[in-house]
Amino acid sequence: MSQSTLSTYVSRPRLGETTWVWLIKIVTGPLLVLLLILHLTVNHYLGSTSSGLMTYDDVIRYYQNPIIPAIEILFLVTVVTHCLIGLRGIILDMNPSRRVLSIVTWFLSLLGLFSVVYGIWLALTIAAKGG
Amino acid sequence: MDNTRNQPSAGKFLSWFNPLGRQTGGWAFILNRITALGLTLYLFLHLIVLGQLAQGPGAYDNFLALTENPFIKLGELAAVAAVILHGLNGVRIILTSFGVGVTRQKQLFYGFMAVSIVIILFFVVRMY
Amino acid sequence: MAEKWNITLRVYRKKENQTPHFDDFKMEVNPDEYVLDAVERAWAFHDRTICFRHACHHSTCGACGMRVNGREKLTCITLIRDVTHNGATLKVEPLRNFPVVSDLAVDMGSFYRKMETVGARAVMPVTEAEVENPPAKWDAEDAQFIRLSDCLECGLCISACPVTATTPEYLGPAPLAAAQDQGLKRKPELLSIVDGEDGVWRCHSAFECTAVCPSFVDPGRRIMDLRTQVVGMRLRKLLGKA
Repeated sequence: MSQSTLSTYVSRPRLGETTWVWLIKIVTGPLLVLLLILHLTVNHYLGSTSSGLMTYDDVIRYYQNPIIPAIEILFLVTVVTHCLIGLRGIILDMNPSRRVLSIVTWFLSLLGLFSVVYGIWLALTIAAKGG
Repeated sequence: MDNTRNQPSAGKFLSWFNPLGRQTGGWAFILNRITALGLTLYLFLHLIVLGQLAQGPGAYDNFLALTENPFIKLGELAAVAAVILHGLNGVRIILTSFGVGVTRQKQLFYGFMAVSIVIILFFVVRMY
Repeated sequence: MAEKWNITLRVYRKKENQTPHFDDFKMEVNPDEYVLDAVERAWAFHDRTICFRHACHHSTCGACGMRVNGREKLTCITLIRDVTHNGATLKVEPLRNFPVVSDLAVDMGSFYRKMETVGARAVMPVTEAEVENPPAKWDAEDAQFIRLSDCLECGLCISACPVTATTPEYLGPAPLAAAQDQGLKRKPELLSIVDGEDGVWRCHSAFECTAVCPSFVDPGRRIMDLRTQVVGMRLRKLLGKA
């Protein structure tokens, strides 16, 4: 049996999940609950027919109010952050090597950044179509 | 015989999803993990599909017609159910992480699951 | 006249590099005896090669932890009546997440080392222990008493934890509970040990540990409390410096 020293059983400082990352994950959680309720209510209850945004024109009109793209973008940033931190947590549970973890973190960060940029572009494009 | 080090081991990950020999909290863990993975898939699909909006009215309205397809509807219902289950379970985790309701975490789970079912049924009625 | 039941005791067997298998032992038992007694009977009268751990037989030493019908139990206090019925099978297997040494005995070394790492206390002054209805202020005479830790170091919590299954380096419920028990205020050097990916943040709130603990340690609650302590300390450090 290997004679490991006690020090090897101390949590090694790695790019693992630490206090702040976890806190971000659970702060985005309830924020998401609120934003989601808002998002679902508005998408399925508002609009000209009050059964939600049913056509292309409904959506364009809805996006004319600047509050709307603002909230949708906030929703996007929150959900992407929560989702990717959570995914990283699950991958951490699979014990990747330091190198693999580093690659995963980079990939997820870039994916997150790309998704947010894409989403902001999309929201602004839709809003502009009503101009 | 040193299996005391963290090692990648694909087969063992399936043990996460094995409900045998587990109790309430263990099922909650499984449920949360499965819904998390499902919702991740849904999130990225949703973002891609919404890109259709930018293509103009034709593309978008064509896509909306797709959503009447029963399989798609079922998928949407599954997504909504997953969101509700994951969300409420998450609230349970936040509460217990800050010491609220820790001694009653089983009841918390059952309570939230009951609420989930009510909300999901509401959506079923609304969608069909 | 004591009641008599006929049960089949199904015992997990594994020696060295053998493929694991189950051996069935039909026996007559008194249902008000304990599962450990049944295992001992199988060893004494049926097969002397069965290997299992036991010592105090009264839930103090933590040696006899096993899985009974798939659930973690301390077999010396688990009544046969509570886990099976007349004519049925009673399955006993070793704890999960530990390497099997022989049959029902597992290698608990990694667990004991983790307890040492956090400086787990076997005894503590009663003024520092969690007792029911503590006095507002301990008088000098009572304050001199010491109390045994609730934790038996039986390992049932480690066996039940879904995280330990894939992450053997995770400190685990019992060591984290032992860290919480000392408190980060009293032992701030524990912060770097428990605040990390193999520490409190690895827990996914499954609470399986609390569900199986035979000694009211409630490791789940303690891990949550430890998290609050870690967050508090980190915030204080951040704001203290700012």
